[in-house]
Amino acid sequence: MIATSPSPARGPSPIWTRAFHGFNLLLLLLMAASGLEIYNANPVFGGREGATVPEMFTLGGWLAGGRDWHFAVMGLYAANLGLWIGLLLRRRHRRLAGSGDLDTLRASVSPPRRRLASHRITYTLMLIVLAFSLITGLAMYKPAQLGWLVSLFAFAEPAGHSSWQTLRVCHLATIPVMGLLVVAHVVLSWRVGGLRLLRAMVL
Amino acid sequence: MADPSDPLSRRRSLGLLLGGGSSLLLGGCALNGWSETVGEATQPLNERIEALLQGKRRLPEFRRSQVEPAALLVNSFNGTPEMAPGSYRLAVNGVVSRPLQLDLATLAALPQQECVIRHVCVEGWAAIVAWSGPRLADVLALAGPSPLGAYLAIRSADQYFETWDLASALHPQTLLATHMNGAPLPLANGAPVRLASPIKLGYKQSKWVTGLELITGLGERLGTWEDKGYEWFAGL
Repeated sequence: MIATSPSPARGPSPIWTRAFHGFNLLLLLLMAASGLEIYNANPVFGGREGATVPEMFTLGGWLAGGRDWHFAVMGLYAANLGLWIGLLLRRRHRRLAGSGDLDTLRASVSPPRRRLASHRITYTLMLIVLAFSLITGLAMYKPAQLGWLVSLFAFAEPAGHSSWQTLRVCHLATIPVMGLLVVAHVVLSWRVGGLRLLRAMVL
Repeated sequence: MADPSDPLSRRRSLGLLLGGGSSLLLGGCALNGWSETVGEATQPLNERIEALLQGKRRLPEFRRSQVEPAALLVNSFNGTPEMAPGSYRLAVNGVVSRPLQLDLATLAALPQQECVIRHVCVEGWAAIVAWSGPRLADVLALAGPSPLGAYLAIRSADQYFETWDLASALHPQTLLATHMNGAPLPLANGAPVRLASPIKLGYKQSKWVTGLELITGLGERLGTWEDKGYEWFAGL
């Protein structure tokens, strides 16, 4: 028998992490593109007179096609993300960001340690933003049956923005926020683990 | 730190990743042709879950002060038909024991109900509206519906066509609205009679309703927009 390494942190990511990661990337592209198709039917900013997203970035061809894709993929996307976050919390929660990472950013002067902390915070934040996209999406999908979920977005009503409009902005905002986080994630992965880490996650 | 033993496969893998991502983005057009197939494969399950989620219970409503008249946009597939309220009749037929032709006075004599609900359009906008009129369930009950009736076909003066599952039609907040925000229904919003309900997307809520037919099964036509590709159940 060969003794296995006692430090799991050094090995490649387990196959399930990589599978959830890759599948999530694919589903996320489909959700974003079909979501932008739905956006174009009535732009969140400007309504019927609002600017639309170039067709190149949309999926579905027209509103019904965009909805076909969005609602076909949503279940898979929710299941994948839910199982992934659940497993991460149970099996690999030490890899998720914690208050220790914020302390590192505040106190440490060592660039590698700071990069590692930023990296952990970035990918943990991504999981939170993705979960937020699910919650806001669910509220818009079933606003009557889940009216209480929509009413959580009434916080901007004193400023004259209906909870529905706030909800639409929040759901849409997950796309640019994820875009920025993906850039940070890729750059930080590269600086932290180089090609080895990138490959360990993708393949 | 990178292992130099097989640079080619590493480089190739990165290239695959970047190329794959961008071609997915650009290849949207190629995938567009699959939209209907993808929809048909998943809609039956989605619709079943929607129906389960819906149930028969009354949904909470909004206050009259929350009504957003400016947010309610006007959509129509075929312009605005001419309506003559004096000669208006609502036909109620199909598998019923007493086919009816109801005038507006008869509808006004039924118990009136106001529902302040969020009207949600498939396009993405929504508006809180106060609809009032008789409940659709009360109108159907007048005609003596057969227990075989499972769906309702709804015809409109502008040739718009819809079909509803009976449970949604009988929902306690599904109305044949004759008034909107406390005033008689404007023609552009479907006067003299339109469907209004908190549980369905806007395209299910036919304007200028002239005929209700209780049917035992769905035929070739599901609805004006459904036949073009919109989901049939369209629950909220």
